[in-house]
Amino acid sequence: MAVLLRRLAGHVARGFVMILVVTTISFLIIRSVPGDPLAARYQKLVEQGMAPDAAQRAVEALYGFTPKGGLWEQYLDYMGGLAHLDLGQSLSVPGAGVSTVLFSAAKWTVIPVLAGTLLSFLVGVVMGVYAAIKRTGVLGDLLAISGSLLHGVPQYVLALLLGAIFTTLVPILPAGGTADIMIDPGFTADYIGSLVQHATLPVVTYALAGYGGWILAMKSSVVTVLGDDFILAAELRGMKRSIVFRYLARNAILPLFTILALSLGLLFGGAIFIERIFNYPGLGLMLIDSINNRDYSLMGGAFLLITTAVVVANIAADLLYTVIDPRVRSGGEAA
Amino acid sequence: MAPEQSPPGVRIRGLTVVYRTPAGELPAVSGVDLDLAPGTITGVVGESGSGKSTLALSLLNAVQPPGRIAAGSVEIDGLGDVVALGGEGLRRARGRHVGYVFQAAQNSLNPLKTVGKQVLDLGRSHGVENPRGLLADARDLLGRMGLDGARVLDSYQHELSGGMRQRVGIMLALVLNARLVVLDEPTTALDMITQATILRIVREVHAERGLTTLVITHDLGVVAEVADRLAVMYGGRVAEQGPTREVLAEPRHPYTRGLLGAIPRLVGDIGEAHALPGRPPTLADIPADGCVFRERCPLRMDVCETGRPPVVVSVSRSAACHAVRDDDGGRPAVAAATGEEQA
Repeated sequence: MAVLLRRLAGHVARGFVMILVVTTISFLIIRSVPGDPLAARYQKLVEQGMAPDAAQRAVEALYGFTPKGGLWEQYLDYMGGLAHLDLGQSLSVPGAGVSTVLFSAAKWTVIPVLAGTLLSFLVGVVMGVYAAIKRTGVLGDLLAISGSLLHGVPQYVLALLLGAIFTTLVPILPAGGTADIMIDPGFTADYIGSLVQHATLPVVTYALAGYGGWILAMKSSVVTVLGDDFILAAELRGMKRSIVFRYLARNAILPLFTILALSLGLLFGGAIFIERIFNYPGLGLMLIDSINNRDYSLMGGAFLLITTAVVVANIAADLLYTVIDPRVRSGGEAA
Repeated sequence: MAPEQSPPGVRIRGLTVVYRTPAGELPAVSGVDLDLAPGTITGVVGESGSGKSTLALSLLNAVQPPGRIAAGSVEIDGLGDVVALGGEGLRRARGRHVGYVFQAAQNSLNPLKTVGKQVLDLGRSHGVENPRGLLADARDLLGRMGLDGARVLDSYQHELSGGMRQRVGIMLALVLNARLVVLDEPTTALDMITQATILRIVREVHAERGLTTLVITHDLGVVAEVADRLAVMYGGRVAEQGPTREVLAEPRHPYTRGLLGAIPRLVGDIGEAHALPGRPPTLADIPADGCVFRERCPLRMDVCETGRPPVVVSVSRSAACHAVRDDDGGRPAVAAATGEEQA
């Protein structure tokens, strides 16, 4: 337990520094992007025939603020706000805080991507074990080939393909959006059914896109462990097949947990292509919009969210390892 | 679960094990006859690739693919012909009747489980009704071998030294009261002190529990230390066998003589030790006909090219060599005249 806490403390400290550095860098990068949203708005109003003074006031009224000071002051301002968990105001969604925008988009990313990742993990791992054990047979080969194939096809191709099949050729699924707009949102069977229906294509795409990697990783991991002495030793000691299988599976899945934890961290990055193709208003789509709209604060917030998620996932992966692998656990004690 | 009255004997007859290779099925062990007398320690000595480990695995009918037992039988008292066993029957025999101890350098334990948990898994696999009793037995066995049993049962593999792991391996082979124990290279990769300890333990445990033991090794010293009988393997065949003392004191097969001649002595000139010329055959270049040792043999004759050497038996010993004659007391006929200078 003490080991765990000491590790955790170290990780949190390092993670904090990491987040600070990334935030600073992304702040600088975003500020050096050409373009000024307020100026652009002002320009637009003037072009529409508004008097310059009135336009200036309208812009100020719309956003509720105008940036003041130089780069350094803005930076201090921004970091000060972050210290109070204030991510600032969105520029493209007037009047809304960045955190509000982020969280409303996050739910459309996190839940489907999480579902897709876990689904592909489960199916891929089970199939990977099977492909490894039957690696000399036809079925094992087919499974491995299916893995390589799906692993090689880009996500967006899969998305377009599935979209074409299930919305055009066999139109049984909706082409985009999160739910039927004719149904009132609420905790009703109709609405939830519609949500599930709309989420099916994105989730299946995530799952298929991930599946290939999992099956290949699991297969090679199982083959490696199969060659380990302790598996033969267990067999020669007359261990039951089920017990030998558990030894095999637990040892083989170990390295995959790290990949899983890391991929869960990346899930906040959103799946830009898939969300765009299925017009799913998640973080990926939001990020594109914020870039198109020069919404600096929303961009900064999105980057911060992604960074934090990745750092947290890293910490979680390491702590998970400490729990499930005794070698790592006592390694910390001995050192 | 009382142990049987007497330790089991083993009779290996005409054992042939082949490995499937791109060049066809090649024999790693061919036509081996070997008896393990009840209650004795038999040592099998050979270089890498001599087929000794394959022979050891055959005792559990556990030759790994692409290898398979192509012919012969391994008759174990109380178990029957192991080669004919399969499925659940074979699984139950492993561990319960025949204990197998892995080479110390191999990691024979699941790295994610404590030793104690693996003892319990073993008990569960063999339908042991009293797991606590089994753990107590394991603790006693480890204690007998000079370890802190309770602590070792609570340890993971990575927390144990090589010598400790080897004792854990011996414990796991014996804890179900197997009376036939196969030790594959029990001292390889251990330091000298630990080697001596392990060999002492093997001897003592063998005597105390009334076992029949087979020790596979490349080290004649190990065999001299523990074995009652000795079999020398070369190229998948038994070159010579007999009581350890007699074979080491008066080797008949030119290969055994060569092996003994290659050992440096503590006293005397290092130059007196002569390595055998050439290299042992690999699976691919084992000669199909004639004597497998002829390429390196100082006594090579024409007949060695074509005829498989006859097994010359005298009293309790046998040697497979054309040059060994039965009638003059089993001495190599040529060696008596010229063999010594050649060495």
